Amino acid sequence: MEKLLRSKVFIWTLLILPGLWPVVPLLQHDPTFGADPLKYILHHLGFIACVLLAAVLALTPLRVIFPKSKLALALNRHRRLIGVSAFVYAALHLATHLVYEGGFGVLVSDVKKPFLLTGLIAFTILLVLAVTSLHRLVRALGAKHWKLLHRLAYVAAALAAYHQSAARKIFPVQVLWIFVPLALLELARLVITRRQRNRVLTPSGAARTG
Amino acid sequence: MNIRTPKNWELSESAVTTESIYRLRNRRDFLKTLGVGLAGATLDPRALLAATAGFPDKENPLYPASALKPTAYEYVTSYNNFYEFGTGKDDPAVYANKGWKTDPWTVELAGLIRAPGKFDVNDLIKKLGGIEQRVYRHRCVEAWSMVVPWDGFPLAKLVTLADPMPEAKYVKFTSFLDPKSAVGQQDSYLGWPYVEGLRMDEATHELAFIATGIYGKTLPNQNGAPLRLVTPWKYGFKGIKSIVKIEFTDKEPYNTWQRLAPNEYGFYANVNPQVDHPRWSQGSERVIGGGIFSGRQTTLMFNGYEKQVAGLYKGLDLSKNF
Repeated sequence: MEKLLRSKVFIWTLLILPGLWPVVPLLQHDPTFGADPLKYILHHLGFIACVLLAAVLALTPLRVIFPKSKLALALNRHRRLIGVSAFVYAALHLATHLVYEGGFGVLVSDVKKPFLLTGLIAFTILLVLAVTSLHRLVRALGAKHWKLLHRLAYVAAALAAYHQSAARKIFPVQVLWIFVPLALLELARLVITRRQRNRVLTPSGAARTG
Repeated sequence: MNIRTPKNWELSESAVTTESIYRLRNRRDFLKTLGVGLAGATLDPRALLAATAGFPDKENPLYPASALKPTAYEYVTSYNNFYEFGTGKDDPAVYANKGWKTDPWTVELAGLIRAPGKFDVNDLIKKLGGIEQRVYRHRCVEAWSMVVPWDGFPLAKLVTLADPMPEAKYVKFTSFLDPKSAVGQQDSYLGWPYVEGLRMDEATHELAFIATGIYGKTLPNQNGAPLRLVTPWKYGFKGIKSIVKIEFTDKEPYNTWQRLAPNEYGFYANVNPQVDHPRWSQGSERVIGGGIFSGRQTTLMFNGYEKQVAGLYKGLDLSKNF
């Protein structure tokens, strides 16, 4: 299992397959899909982008909560790949949206609507984070700045959660399935790191973990 | 295709019938492959449907299919908003056909009228002189649209039968409540049963229609069998499904979506490309069944029925009364 999770090919496959899912209703001649295929694809791509964003953010807390787990460690090797693929799906989602709306016109006239604005800001953040994931830029920024900048991913996640829930007439429960586990993991991580920090601080008074 | 044109309604009716039979078989095959299975004749969805009176009916030449391009039967019956059976567009076609009975069906006329009473749906249809076919545009508040060949009767006929008193200013429609059969009603978020309303002049307008069928056939459960309101100049959510009570009142009915989100949905629900939904534009719409590369179509004022209904709203600020 650990070996499988370390494998790049396996993770690549896991990341690409969900994008191909709309082929299933297409081949089944599912009339609900056929009624407006583009809407299905639009929602589907946005959904995957949200799932991957939540997944990549969950990796660090998983490693902190289960420091001895080799699986958590193996998954953490793929953080950049998963993060960048969240951006790619978000980009495909935005591109589909532009086709769906028939160009940039509606995007420009509707940008003041919180539903669209949150989506666009979240996308812009993911774009910046994807670009600054290039080796050269990571080095140029320096670890400290890079880390600070990439904390914006949490802002993107919060915006994406709002954006996703505003897409339907009724609050869609799937938003909770995607983002509540992440929130819980982050909470657990905060508690653990605080405890560790206190432990380190009390005896010597000097050592600090970054 | 070789087309002779004797009379408009004759041609479209024959075209419609063949297609609907073909489509229905397709849909059932599809359900079977899903394993939802309509095994045996007793589970044939048509056997569970109530309003069978009046078929076959004829197209009203004022609202012909030839003027519009009807959306395929399989899309009209598989892309539904009927939250009583789930919030997915594909949910109603499955969950409304799992034993929920729309036969027999009784509808109650009540309130400020001289002829209150409870009626069996088929008796009511016969009393009102049968049904007719009308092809209407259908525009959902979610910015998509269809063209539906409805079968049914003008709501005005039913109002006449009810014989309202002068104090009656509004008509309040109430849908069924049966959480045992309707899985969506097991969640209480919407505040069941679904309620809608019309002003009296809207209810007696020639366009206001009660559907008992589509495509010349009994209304499928997922489309709101056996009685469903159709007001083509208003957003689809005004078209309350599976009506059990029609009440005449002097107070404006507080409809379900308005109660749920008053800043997004109002009492009037008139299709209006100038008044956006807070979250999306209403200026254009996706046409159902158009495929991936069909563009959007401009949304028309009152969904293209401006000439007929604009007079109802003279002097009313439509941006406030949305």
